Amino acid sequence: MIFREVEDRDLIAKARRGHVDAYNVLVSRWEKRVFNYLLRMVRNREDAMDLSQDVFLKAYQNLKKLEDPAKFAGWLFRIAHNEAYSLLRKNRPDGEIVGELATGESSARMFPIETSLAVQSALGRLSEDQREAVLLKVYQGFKFDEMAEILSCPVSTVKSRLYTALDLLKQTLAPVSLGGAE
Amino acid sequence: MSCSSVDVKAYFLGEVSRAEKSVVDDHLRACESCREELDRLKLTDTALRSLVEEDAPQRIAFVSDKVFEPRWYQTIWRSGPAMGFASSALLAGAILAHGFSLRPPAQPAAAAPVVDTAQIEQRIEREVNVRLEAAAAKQREQMASMLDAVQKSYETKRQADLADVRQAVDYYKNQTARLMVAANRVETPAQ
Repeated sequence: MIFREVEDRDLIAKARRGHVDAYNVLVSRWEKRVFNYLLRMVRNREDAMDLSQDVFLKAYQNLKKLEDPAKFAGWLFRIAHNEAYSLLRKNRPDGEIVGELATGESSARMFPIETSLAVQSALGRLSEDQREAVLLKVYQGFKFDEMAEILSCPVSTVKSRLYTALDLLKQTLAPVSLGGAE
Repeated sequence: MSCSSVDVKAYFLGEVSRAEKSVVDDHLRACESCREELDRLKLTDTALRSLVEEDAPQRIAFVSDKVFEPRWYQTIWRSGPAMGFASSALLAGAILAHGFSLRPPAQPAAAAPVVDTAQIEQRIEREVNVRLEAAAAKQREQMASMLDAVQKSYETKRQADLADVRQAVDYYKNQTARLMVAANRVETPAQ
């Protein structure tokens, strides 16, 4: 982990000096994580791809403003969070967001398919705030304080969103009867 | 200890200190409902992680953009000659200041020592030339290494492009062969 962090820092330093190739290496390391986060937030593959490109462009343009290169991940996801919410806010007045994932088109590669569909459905039923808390914690592995920085809210709010989301997910994905006591 | 004083979710998410973890461990041994809560959280987590990460439909890459690249004067300023020139100028200033500071106080015209300005200028010029030459040599060296790096990078890209082309040709050969086979299969029943 430390070795990787140092490498990212070097790439950031080079990119800041105008080395586009160094930045492209950095992008290649993070694009999958950012894309999947955005995909599960906006639930549309094309939008997620467009937003990913915007995120990395904005990150490049603002790289000099990043004070601590060790916090690149949180900083990058903060940009991704802003981009995702910007789109979600734009789409909201037009009605519900039509999720490409909800069609099950993407689940063909997932196994077992029933679980994947159930997970997608359960995540889709969460509010955007709750879903984002789950994505950042479970899929991206951020700590509570890092999440608070990304989401610009207190740690108590982060915990509240995440705990509520976990309770809702539990009802669908791990109902009480699965405990075997009954 | 009551269940409400134990944060099983924080425990499960790895957000408790070592001391807190020990307290929760003790509580879990004694409390069946909290154990069940933990099991359900684990089950939920396992289900959530069954979603595989997808590859982005296309790679994101940026090409060199003049807007973001350093300006020519920035490049020059960051190079060796700039530093050489700056240090030469500083040295020249120091020599001049030293020369003036050593001047004796004004004497009657007959006894006034003659300051050899020509000699000082020669010394300054000599020092400046030495510094500039050193800086230029350093720049030549840097330029050579940069050219070498560019050549290597170009060669690597060229090899990669060649490999891609070869792969594409192989792919089309295979596809053609498959089409030929398929065409033969279609023709066979007719014969």
